[in-house]
Amino acid sequence: MTWLVWRQHRNQAYVAAAALAAFAVLMLITGRLMATQYQSARAACSASHSCGNLANTLVLAGPWASLLVTLTVVVPCLLGVFWGGPLVARELETGTSQFAWMQSVTRGRWLTVKVGWALLAAAAWAGAVAAIVTWWSSPANTLEQQNFQPSQFDIQGIVPIGYAVFAVALGIAAGTVIRRTLPAMAVTLVVFTFLRLFIGQNFRAHYLTAVTRTFSFLQHPVVPKGSYWLVSSGVIGPAGQVTGSPVHGGPTINFGGVQMPIGNLPQACQTLVFHDPTSFRSCLAAHGYHAFITYQPADRYWAFQGIEAGIFVLLAAALIAVTAIVVRRRDA
Amino acid sequence: MMASSNPAAIETRGLSKHYRKVTALTEATITVPEGRISALIGPNGAGKTTLLRLLAGLARPTSGEVAVLGGWPRQDPAFLADVGFLAQEIPLYRRLNAEDHIGIGAHLNSRWDGASVRERLQNLRIPLDQTVGTLSGGQRAQLALALTLGKRPRLLLLDEPVAALDPLARRQFLAHLAEAVADGGLTVVLSSHLVADLERTCDHLILLAASHLQLCGDIDTLLTEHRVLVGPAKDTTAIERDHTIVQAVRTARQATLLVRGKAPVIDPAYEAADVGLEELVLGYMGQYAAPAPAHLTMIGEDQ
Amino acid sequence: MISFRLDGRSVVPPYLQIVQQVRQALRMGVLDVGDKLPTVREVVAATAVNPNTVLKAYRDLERDGLVEPRAGLGTFVVGRPSGPPPGTHSRLARSLTQWVRSAREAGLDDESIESLLRVTLRAAAEEETA
Repeated sequence: MTWLVWRQHRNQAYVAAAALAAFAVLMLITGRLMATQYQSARAACSASHSCGNLANTLVLAGPWASLLVTLTVVVPCLLGVFWGGPLVARELETGTSQFAWMQSVTRGRWLTVKVGWALLAAAAWAGAVAAIVTWWSSPANTLEQQNFQPSQFDIQGIVPIGYAVFAVALGIAAGTVIRRTLPAMAVTLVVFTFLRLFIGQNFRAHYLTAVTRTFSFLQHPVVPKGSYWLVSSGVIGPAGQVTGSPVHGGPTINFGGVQMPIGNLPQACQTLVFHDPTSFRSCLAAHGYHAFITYQPADRYWAFQGIEAGIFVLLAAALIAVTAIVVRRRDA
Repeated sequence: MMASSNPAAIETRGLSKHYRKVTALTEATITVPEGRISALIGPNGAGKTTLLRLLAGLARPTSGEVAVLGGWPRQDPAFLADVGFLAQEIPLYRRLNAEDHIGIGAHLNSRWDGASVRERLQNLRIPLDQTVGTLSGGQRAQLALALTLGKRPRLLLLDEPVAALDPLARRQFLAHLAEAVADGGLTVVLSSHLVADLERTCDHLILLAASHLQLCGDIDTLLTEHRVLVGPAKDTTAIERDHTIVQAVRTARQATLLVRGKAPVIDPAYEAADVGLEELVLGYMGQYAAPAPAHLTMIGEDQ
Repeated sequence: MISFRLDGRSVVPPYLQIVQQVRQALRMGVLDVGDKLPTVREVVAATAVNPNTVLKAYRDLERDGLVEPRAGLGTFVVGRPSGPPPGTHSRLARSLTQWVRSAREAGLDDESIESLLRVTLRAAAEEETA
């Protein structure tokens, strides 16, 4: 059965391997360049003790390489649509599944081997891409400490593997239920994109309870160490009301990463905001205002990666279970 | 009925298959003894494909019982190895070639005779290295049959296998099939529209019309049980005492009756003739067709 | 070795056609005692006829004492159908061919010849019973 899966998807596998190799070579070249750039810049700035500003002055990656890396966010979706969607649907459509099922191989075994290899291949391919991107991004990660942000979180580490496995499982399930390739591909695209964004936007922030720290305007703003993920920030009034962030369309001022909408602050302080920032802050403190940030600490990065990847893998398992039931019970 | 030393290859009782809006098969009770080549005949939509799929285990019955080679059609390798099924659309992997398909057969089947498949394809001059999508319809049909026989099944279910073949290819196909049966241990059920072809190769008949079973039995026996009676158009109660009238075509003065019964016809007014397979089949199927226009039946009558 | 030709449109069932063709071959001298009949498989391969049909025909011939199966070797001719010796048929066939030629020259078509033959046979039969 493995022989058949290989024979059927041999060309696909070669193309995927070639694409991966090309991507790897490109990333290797640009990545090494970036790493060397970073090393020399650090050496230069430590000599002159001006490394604090390095993040703002040093531009590491070229625009094309950056674009390519950003685009790897679509890899799981592509895998789901093009590898997962047709896997079962095409065979049901053309009747070759019937041919295979009458060759002394049970439906269960047929499905297990096909799905097994598809998920393995997707996980491996997406994992390789993610590993390359993570390696490539390490100077930027060290420098900018932004890798907990959604745009980077989604393409580094292990979550892309979770996404890919889920996407392919979704494609397979859609194909099995719908029995037609193109509709299955369309459904996979839509459902995957929706779920990915929905879970990322609405659930990720709550995997673990975020840490909230308040601080007075009279002290230096609290900036958490490392690549923390800022969930929200704002101002707490004397009665505990949150004049939070972000408010659209009002003027704001930035205080150590806290965006304060000025419109809700006491009038007395507002007049000071542009002339005399220091007095402005003392004024707020005098009125009993504090600043707060809510964030996920940097050391929770891998926990979050694991949780999100785990969620998608569980969803994938559920989809595969549904697929198995449908394949066995339905008329061929 | 003589008790056979071998259990029947196929036995169904009250087998039915309903879909949401359509009844595909109604209460079919069929027996196909081992070693037969059975012709499954019926108009389009009569339930032939449904029956074959139920026998192969590709579809589940709505009600009734079905026993194939002694057991329920089930999903285990032993059953699947014993039963071969060829669908009308001949689903092969279009992007793979014949050699690949032989490899698939070798990898996925417990019993496999690749040498015989290769030999047959060579005799038919079917190239092994061309993708299946580029072969002609006839070549694909021959390849599919060779592959199905290569797994050495005990029961072969073929859905309109000769539809795509020219007369010579049809003859070769049926000859190859009959040869495989002659070697022993193989029962075949094949559906087709072309009764003339089936008459010489098949010795058993399953006739379906409008999802109902019309006839099931050895062809020789069925033919001796039926007769065509031609005579004056008169009261037929006497005939109906010993015979069933299958189809009656009546004009003002003449009646042509297709009857079934074991007793001889004594009434001298009727001229009795033997029935051929095609006439028998058409007689049963004719009940479900539109009646023939009246003027056609008047040919031969005195003016 | 004899080869069989089955007429799908004939009213004679296939197994009987085989029986008749073997008998005719024996009468004409095409087959003789000791000759081997084609195996069931060979007949099936050549004519696509059901193997049981061939088996039935061979069993009929065996019952009439014309052939005998020998285990592992095949089916062999062991007797001739009663009737005139083989040469008679060929001899009569030759004179018949000549008669047909003269009938055609006289202007008779096939239908008239057949009809004449039927009438003559019937008259001869009536003569015998008389």
